[in-house]
Amino acid sequence: MLIPRRVKHRKQHHPDRSGRAKGGTAINFGEYAIQALEPAYVTNRQIESARIAMTRHIRRGGKVWITIYPDRPLTKKPAETRMGSGKGSPEWWVANVKPGRVMFELSGVAEPVAREAMRRAIHKLPMKCRFITREGEV
Amino acid sequence: MADFRLVAERRTEFGKGSARRTRREGRVPAVLYGHGQDVVHLSLPAREFAAALRNGGSNALLTVVLDGKEQLALTKDVQRDPLTRVHEHADLLIVRRGEKVTVDVPVVVTGEPAAETLVSVELNTVSIQVAATAIPESIEVDVTGRGAHEGVTGADLRLPSGATLLTDADALVVNLMAAPTAEALEAELEQAEAEAGIEKAVAETEAPEAGAAPAREAGAAGAAGQGDVVPEPQDQGSGESMQATENS
Repeated sequence: MLIPRRVKHRKQHHPDRSGRAKGGTAINFGEYAIQALEPAYVTNRQIESARIAMTRHIRRGGKVWITIYPDRPLTKKPAETRMGSGKGSPEWWVANVKPGRVMFELSGVAEPVAREAMRRAIHKLPMKCRFITREGEV
Repeated sequence: MADFRLVAERRTEFGKGSARRTRREGRVPAVLYGHGQDVVHLSLPAREFAAALRNGGSNALLTVVLDGKEQLALTKDVQRDPLTRVHEHADLLIVRRGEKVTVDVPVVVTGEPAAETLVSVELNTVSIQVAATAIPESIEVDVTGRGAHEGVTGADLRLPSGATLLTDADALVVNLMAAPTAEALEAELEQAEAEAGIEKAVAETEAPEAGAAPAREAGAAGAAGQGDVVPEPQDQGSGESMQATENS
């Protein structure tokens, strides 16, 4: 799973969820991609789960790129704990994804296979997404 | 290559307010420049402009009719909204018939490679110098029968007559790799699933509960020497437990 090797600060503020993606909105590597249509925190487990779903469907036929990285820690206080006593412990690693962001790219397979693989991957993600192709980018 | 004729209107007011009004009227704000001429601010009919790019590709040769005068132009840059896919602005470069221009042409792979071979397009576009009226829509690369490590470089590309390749001739354009064996792929996926705590039967149909104790996994990854230096929280139990308070 994707986890930063070293971080400057263990606990950060919650990432800003407003606005739209200002970069990473185009297909750069593959032929097909999954694009986010809503803002969300995508955890490293969700990214891995989506990658596995895609890879299991395309079998040995294609190549997958992950174009987001879960580099923001989210903290959580233990259950049944009163407020105060400092910030909770890091619990999740998330990528702060905003609408328009391309998250996964795929190449080396026919479009129907890619469409189905990415449909399965989208089910693992916490927001509305869509399938886009390089041809439609023009 | 088909010729696309667009009737442009000169823009007299500028800024985002004016640009938005132009878009609401079904037109795309654009600028036209090149050959030492002053920049001309104009607007293009959005529907026809989108059709030109859809049918002619990103290097479509446009005939812009402005004040009754025709000018040939290529799109230098097009801004699109990533969500709505609407064309927001276009930069048009003036070209002349017979003039040689530098353009990036998409690479299209055709044919089926040898068995157990994966095709990876390393360069999605190649830069060529070609007459403005003879720009190819794409450059085809036939990989029929090619096996692993028989990649296609810039020098192997078949360019249209009169075109010169500007991309490095040694640059790998299409890479052909050996597909991973079924066993290797299955082993890799099983390891990934075990690491993520995904049961195999669940992985095929539905995602497991996300976020279940990733902090523990992060610690385990660190212990396994993967370089995670985020330590286990020391103060996790320092908060006063409600139950403990009630008992006291």
